[in-house]
Amino acid sequence: MMYEFKVSDLAEEFGVHRNTIRNWINAGTLPAKEGPGRKYLMKFQDYQKLCEKFGREPHISPANNVSAKALGALEVSDVAPLEITGKKSEIAIDPSWADACLTCGTCASACPISGVDGLDPRKIVRMAALGMDEELVASNWPWKCTMCAKCEESCPANIQIIALMRKIRGKRARAKVPGPIHKGVAMCLERGNNLGIPKEDFVFLCEDLGQELAEDCCPGFKTPIDVHGARVLVTVNSKEPFGEPDDMKWWWKIFYAAGESFTISSENWEGVNWGLFSGDDEAMKTVVGRIVDNMRRLNCKVLLLPE
Amino acid sequence: MNKWYPEVFNEFKVVSVFDLLLEYIQEGRIQLDKSVHTMPVSYHDPCNYGRKSLKAFGKAYFEEGRAITKACCDDFRELNPNRNGAYCCGAGGGAWAMPFSEERVYYGRIKARQIVESGAHLLIAPCHNCRDQIMKSLIKEYDLNLEVKYIWELVADSLIMPNKQ
Repeated sequence: MMYEFKVSDLAEEFGVHRNTIRNWINAGTLPAKEGPGRKYLMKFQDYQKLCEKFGREPHISPANNVSAKALGALEVSDVAPLEITGKKSEIAIDPSWADACLTCGTCASACPISGVDGLDPRKIVRMAALGMDEELVASNWPWKCTMCAKCEESCPANIQIIALMRKIRGKRARAKVPGPIHKGVAMCLERGNNLGIPKEDFVFLCEDLGQELAEDCCPGFKTPIDVHGARVLVTVNSKEPFGEPDDMKWWWKIFYAAGESFTISSENWEGVNWGLFSGDDEAMKTVVGRIVDNMRRLNCKVLLLPE
Repeated sequence: MNKWYPEVFNEFKVVSVFDLLLEYIQEGRIQLDKSVHTMPVSYHDPCNYGRKSLKAFGKAYFEEGRAITKACCDDFRELNPNRNGAYCCGAGGGAWAMPFSEERVYYGRIKARQIVESGAHLLIAPCHNCRDQIMKSLIKEYDLNLEVKYIWELVADSLIMPNKQ
């Protein structure tokens, strides 16, 4: 907490001349600096120390019902006040948000995890407006947030909280992105799917599952891989071939029943773009571009996204 | 795709799971048996197909998923709030894969409560992420008496298979 004073008031309080106070300030004995309106600012702690040194009681107490003793203990956890340096934030999308956001808290009450670990959408908007980029990028708030957009939907000032959240995610050093999200993006760029499943394994698995389906309920079914001119190109969520391969059969069964002509690409079949979550536009663009290439290569008419 | 490859929309159509399933149902290309799922069923609105799609593309998939679900089941119940006001399952935005599982489970408490209040025994989730969170995490954590299916799983399980040889 900061203590604001006029030189003349402090001089009167301690019974010294105004010049003495000024000298103390200039010499650094009194750690204060100029504030607005010919006033000075110092840490309340420093004011307390000054009083102690001269055997005086502080003439104000920041909280009426807290004894000076208790306060002493509280002071230890005191947060250093933020200095506005005028440095421009790279995260704040629109400077007018500083005015538009009234910190009314509608967003915070809509958010299912506000309060957890100090997360609060208002605070994040305000921190961005104040240029606290480093703190935001270092915090785990944007990664605990699911970007569900309840906050944004409820915001009466229409602040783009989710775009802000994603931008903060994107500023995190890639190696420090929590969990497998970025590793998945890197894997996808390198091998064509988030989990790095090799082409041969994928094709073998699909054909094998197709046979099972044919025996089970779809006589004559054969998994169509790389079929040129099929109507629908199907993209796949890599967790299915990786961990729940049988789940792919539901769609195939529907296609079979509907008599649909569909195909799956043997390469770059990933339909889940984790760049969206990690805040990585470049990677996202590359992955989308590959799907476009597949559509052109296989000459399909309809692209089905996996979810 | 809208942003980087706008030209492709002249070359081909991009469809969601809802568009394609509804097309098959409305054109009569698949037949569905409502007697497979007689239990009370409810539908979870995924953030990305609803609220966020509305914002990003001006089009939300709220009614499509309900129409498909109702084509498979008679006893349909809503979660409240729903559609644009729906609560996230708690695992969106990559949170399913993040190392913050306590937060994720806590996040899901509202979804779990909504499901219990709806009285549903089957929940339809059109999103991989939501399905995993609800089926693999919330059911255990909140002791829900519930089955979860993808919307295409519901359709596949309701199919009356045509006679083909």
